[in-house]
Amino acid sequence: MESAQGRIKSSKRRTIVRSVLGLGLALACVSAVKREDFKTCSQSGFCARNRAYADIAKETPQWVSPFQLNPSSLRLHKGVLTGDLINVQEDKQPSDKPALAFELHLLDTDAARVRINERNPIHPRYDGVQDTVLIKPYGHATEESYQKLGKDENGILTIQYGAQSQNTVRISSAPFKIEFLVNGVPTVILNDEGLLRFERLRNKEEPKVEEEEGEKQGEEASSDPLVEQKPGGNEIEIAIEKSDLEKKLEENLWEERFKEFTDSKPRGPESFGMDITFSGINHVYGIPEHASSLSLKATRGPDAPYTEPYRLYNLDVFEYEGDNPMALYGSVPFMLGHSKNSTAAVFWMNAAETWIDVEKSPEDKTGGLLSWIKSKKAVQPAATKTHWISEAGVLDLFVFLGPTHRDIFRQYASLVGTTALPQAFSIAYHQCRWNYNNQQDVAEVDAGFDEHDIPYDVLWLDIEHTNGKRYFTWDEAKFPNPTEMQESLSAKGRKMVTIIDPHIKKDGDYHVSKEGAELDVYIKNKDGSSDFDGWCWPGSSQWIDFYNPKARDWWASQFSYDKYIGSTKSLFTWNDMNEPSVFSGPEITIPKDVIHYGNVEHRNVHNLYGTMFHSATAQGLTHRNETNQRPFVLSRAFFAGTQRFGAIWTGDNVASWEHLELASPMLLTIGLSGIPFSGADVGGFFGNPDAELLTRWYQAGIYYPFFRAHAHLDSKRREPWLFGEPYTTQIREAIRTRYTLLPFWYTLFQEASVEGTPIIRPMFTVFPEDEAVFGMDDQYMVGDAILVKPVVKSAVIRSNVYFAGKEKWFDIKDYSVEQGPGFKDIESPADKIPVYQRAGTIVPKRERPRRSSKAMENDPFTLVIALDSVGEASGRLYLDDGESFNYEKGDFILTEFKVSKGVLSSRKVKSTTATSVESSFAEKAGGLRIERLVILGATVPLKKVTVGDRTLQASCSQVGGSYVCTIKEPQVTIGKDFDLSFA
Amino acid sequence: MKTHSVCFPILATLALSAAVTIANVSNNNAPRGVSPSNAKLYVPDNVNNWSCLDGSKTIPFSAVNDDYCDCIDGSDEPGTSACGTGQFYCANIGHTPSNIKTSRVNDGVCDEECCDGSDEYDGQTQCPNVCEEVGATAREENDRIQSVQNEGARLRRGFIKHGKANKVLLTNELETLRSQVDHVQLALNDARDAANEAQEAYLEGSKSEREATRKQQLEPLIQEQTKRLKYASEVRDMLKLTLQSLKENHNKNFHDMAVKGTVSGFDDYIVAQGEKTETVEDDLATLSSDRQFDALMDETSVVLRDIGTLHDLLDGMKRDYNTEYNDEAVLAAVKVTDDFEITWDSSRLDFADVEHLVLPEELPVDSPEAEKFRDAMDSAQEVFNDASGKESKVQEGIRDIERKLNMDFGPDETFAQLVDNCFDFKDTEYTYSVCLFGDANQNSHSSTHLGKFSGWEGDNYDVQMYTGGAKCWNGPERSVKLVMSCGTTTEIVSVTEPEKCEYLFKLQTPAVCPIPEGEVDEQEHQQEQQQVEEGEEHTRKHDEL
Repeated sequence: MESAQGRIKSSKRRTIVRSVLGLGLALACVSAVKREDFKTCSQSGFCARNRAYADIAKETPQWVSPFQLNPSSLRLHKGVLTGDLINVQEDKQPSDKPALAFELHLLDTDAARVRINERNPIHPRYDGVQDTVLIKPYGHATEESYQKLGKDENGILTIQYGAQSQNTVRISSAPFKIEFLVNGVPTVILNDEGLLRFERLRNKEEPKVEEEEGEKQGEEASSDPLVEQKPGGNEIEIAIEKSDLEKKLEENLWEERFKEFTDSKPRGPESFGMDITFSGINHVYGIPEHASSLSLKATRGPDAPYTEPYRLYNLDVFEYEGDNPMALYGSVPFMLGHSKNSTAAVFWMNAAETWIDVEKSPEDKTGGLLSWIKSKKAVQPAATKTHWISEAGVLDLFVFLGPTHRDIFRQYASLVGTTALPQAFSIAYHQCRWNYNNQQDVAEVDAGFDEHDIPYDVLWLDIEHTNGKRYFTWDEAKFPNPTEMQESLSAKGRKMVTIIDPHIKKDGDYHVSKEGAELDVYIKNKDGSSDFDGWCWPGSSQWIDFYNPKARDWWASQFSYDKYIGSTKSLFTWNDMNEPSVFSGPEITIPKDVIHYGNVEHRNVHNLYGTMFHSATAQGLTHRNETNQRPFVLSRAFFAGTQRFGAIWTGDNVASWEHLELASPMLLTIGLSGIPFSGADVGGFFGNPDAELLTRWYQAGIYYPFFRAHAHLDSKRREPWLFGEPYTTQIREAIRTRYTLLPFWYTLFQEASVEGTPIIRPMFTVFPEDEAVFGMDDQYMVGDAILVKPVVKSAVIRSNVYFAGKEKWFDIKDYSVEQGPGFKDIESPADKIPVYQRAGTIVPKRERPRRSSKAMENDPFTLVIALDSVGEASGRLYLDDGESFNYEKGDFILTEFKVSKGVLSSRKVKSTTATSVESSFAEKAGGLRIERLVILGATVPLKKVTVGDRTLQASCSQVGGSYVCTIKEPQVTIGKDFDLSFA
Repeated sequence: MKTHSVCFPILATLALSAAVTIANVSNNNAPRGVSPSNAKLYVPDNVNNWSCLDGSKTIPFSAVNDDYCDCIDGSDEPGTSACGTGQFYCANIGHTPSNIKTSRVNDGVCDEECCDGSDEYDGQTQCPNVCEEVGATAREENDRIQSVQNEGARLRRGFIKHGKANKVLLTNELETLRSQVDHVQLALNDARDAANEAQEAYLEGSKSEREATRKQQLEPLIQEQTKRLKYASEVRDMLKLTLQSLKENHNKNFHDMAVKGTVSGFDDYIVAQGEKTETVEDDLATLSSDRQFDALMDETSVVLRDIGTLHDLLDGMKRDYNTEYNDEAVLAAVKVTDDFEITWDSSRLDFADVEHLVLPEELPVDSPEAEKFRDAMDSAQEVFNDASGKESKVQEGIRDIERKLNMDFGPDETFAQLVDNCFDFKDTEYTYSVCLFGDANQNSHSSTHLGKFSGWEGDNYDVQMYTGGAKCWNGPERSVKLVMSCGTTTEIVSVTEPEKCEYLFKLQTPAVCPIPEGEVDEQEHQQEQQQVEEGEEHTRKHDEL
């Protein structure tokens, strides 16, 4: 019978089903939070070991660093001090192991460099970071510029150095410690806490069989109560004596597992760490990239806001969270400390994974009973103690003592380079989306800007424009005629950008993949011979090894017009996913044990990979068919030195108020770390901003050095006009404001390209003595002239703005006046955020609305002159052709404006090299006129304005307690010096 | 700006004087950039002053077009870019005059709208006067458009004629049908009563005997089916649990499209489950054996369908997921799928039986008395079936006409012609289709619903919305915006997806071709006359039928 059969089968079936059901239930307990995709310090062997060492040092009373300099080995020659560094714990006999090599270099820029390396390692430690990061071999201080003051009674060697002999370095031998002093005040101290630790390379010891057995016996024995009472056995004694922390020092030395991934670590442990104390300094800044505040937060000590150290390891983090020391897309191991009395910085030149703990000693706030009591008790002075831990390489540290932050930026830039002077269009507005779908879409968006009279310069194409994520190709159905498309935008002065990523789809029919294989330029597996293969957008892919010089040249050649079919002179490049992002890899990146050119393990260079890619791309654009055009390349990953190759942005942010708020501290931090050309995606990449958030983001975004709107594939369209009124008008007004200020921005970029200064600046760099601004990151300065306070909360129509200094501030729209210093509530209705020009500054503008920056190049200028309390002001204007390298040959205009004693003087700064360019830009553009002068802060209405023998009219109106005067057509140009007097 | 040679011939002093001398120079009396019709606004007063058009300020007339913005409204600089907010008039002789934004004057771009090149007069950029050729092309294009519009308008008149006639026709038809409702309803009620009575009589006549036989007959089948349902439900729940676990635990960083697809499919399934109104089952025991069996069979087939759906989701992932990621959650789900397939394939045979486990015919109760009752019942049933058929035909007819009459075919009924007409568009990947006032779909190997007609957008009767299509992964329900333009045929000319899952169909059709003004009234009048006549004729014919 059917039913009987069914019944029998059914009972069999049920057992199987039950077991399957059980599996399903078990599964429900496995969790997969995205944070767990990324390591904590305790999951990273070397971080855990070095942090444990710091714990031991803290728990040990009177901890003394076991490192000592052999005094007899010290030699000072031509600005370099060398010597032997010995670990007295490890090397009971001096002959146990070769000592570590210690070097202290005094540089001609007043910076100092400290290096610690193994003297005779079993194989060389990686020391190649300097070859790619430093721009040139630097000069050492001449023998006349420093003075060895000899040793004092404690055996401390003292050397005085610096242009004004303002710096002193004191080297203590036992224990090893280096103090840097500025004008006699200790500022940066190395190994003050004694956390220096250096893992020397070693051969892997085969596990001893007896030991294991011994342990087993021990275990068995300990389970026997009789044996437990006998504490005689040596091994057991050792086990008892080693604390948990001490055991941690020995963990994960070799093969290491994280989730389903194994790091083979064939060279074993090679990490090192050291503490750096910023003495008398409460605020430290830098070490991007983290979604966190400008002033770094404590990661150790009581009440520390964070429990994890700040991590530097370039990673593609999906929907990153705010207020978090987790690693993000880029790394710059540069940290700057600042107090009312001193400013100093360090650059830890290492591209391997690095963790940094920050600990703050009690703040000595002025005022308040508690601090009064403390001051009476002579507590330890305020200091910030940092602990730097790197996985591999050599300890290579630069110390910059300023004395001002401007000096520090210059000193640091002299090593790693300044920002390249960008293409002028690239500091205007960029319109991006994943994705503009086809040529029709591109044409319609382009027309939309004209129709709504909103200027923009660049339209971007994300990965979908390619044929199956094969970079350098086009989806021919969607983009049948890319050249025509670019030319139709170019006719209006506009450019395009396409995305080019470092992963190459494995496909024998794809020319790039094929050539790469033939030239053998891919990163290798740990065996060193087979090509590494992982997953990214195109599926199975390979990664180009940009450490291979042949690979770099070949890559650069891909950008020539005959190779990159469909590219034109007005097409530029976006480098994404270059951490590198590998979907199938540990922490969504490439395994550390893969091999680069020259048998370099990826572990040593991870944080530099993206920059090497960025640099090769910039090289490609520069040399494509000899056009004498500056490149423009945007990158997501970055490292120290990235500024030489192009812009970066803060990656895949979220359309939320929180992320709008995060953008300011993140960009300020990246900027002061040497990379001023940066931005955050306006509108937020993931999700859908409402009209208010989008508008507020535009109002903030116009004050990012790199100003681009971008959106995820799954998000709703949000081109500036799509939300209707009043938003379209508000966004138009914001973008136009950016365009009016382009001359000012471009001048700041030029300054940055020479001086290494940030472009958007933390308040403390402009007001270094005002402690109220040291932790401030919700408002900032553009240059030294313009104060910006973005609105980062919904429904906020009043903002609490801090007006620093004793001078006036002028609203850039209605010229209303505020008087510093102090906080004040300022109206910030939907159509504006608080933006003020500082008294004493002159800002050059071009006020005519145009459809692109290119269309403004023949327009006249307006100077907005904000007089300070003694009637003075100064500013400058830099102008060149905005696209070629002719400025390097002196073909530019740099004019300095100054008001003093009722005279505005304009003086052309002579370029150092006489121009060798025929029919130079400077000659032609020198005729561009200044059509308007706006003078703010005049105490009386201007009556008589004269230039030479001409008399001009000023029209004045009273605003607040002073006058705003406009002078129409002073009939002067930017290329010819003039003096204009007013009374 | 590749098409222009940008040069700087003007030196400093020249630029300054040029700025002044270029003012007021123009072909007609009006200042540069002012259209002839606005020329009267640009006349100095008796002291040679002039007031900004908003009246905010009085300035010397020489300040008009002096390349410096004096007026807040920008009206003093119609011929320069100094204010950038006004309109610049291009005479475009040989073509049509136009106004461009003054922000585009002397910006280095030869604006298409300004074919005479008068917008670039500062000598930096040479814009040739191309109005003759542009004008010729435009005239040709205009002629083409005109002829399309003429033909389109002719066709549209046909649509309107049809639409209006059709409306009258339908209205009349509806009236006729409505007048029949009472009649057929009554007949149906009578027939139902008679059939019920006959059935009652039959059932009463052999009740206990029949029920006992039937219960005995169905008992083992019900027992077996209950077990099978229980087993199937367990399997279904296990698959749901597996998918739920996969959804919660898979690694989102991997962007594995196969996994994403399965998870989103599962979300759709759960949503669909939620939408199904839970029919509260009567306590099975109180039902007759037949109803019990039916209910069990129904429920089983629902569960089997669910299992099929859930397995398809898992199987889809199993085929395509990326084996290199080693995502534990995915591996676990694949393992479950494998186990399921092994066990299910063997047990599947039994379920094939289930599908064949049909309700057996009731065993007849043999007696002449019963025979008699049965015959009466059968013929009453036949009468009922017939009445029911007539009734539903009338009701259906009413519903269909009401649907059409309730549709908004535009003020002149143009779109009645196109209702339920379907159009396809093939691009490289998909074939898109829309049945106007019905559904839109995207087809490749399978079909995806893009939306159902939900109304017109705006007041112009040229944009339709189709909404409530299949939900997108991580996105909204699909929808279509259908935008119409004038053409002599009705066809889709392009399909795009400006943002994910929101499609834009462009349709050309005579239905939106403009009908020249003045003509409409006359036409309409004629047509109305005609329609009324036709309608009456139609109604008459109908009556005769």
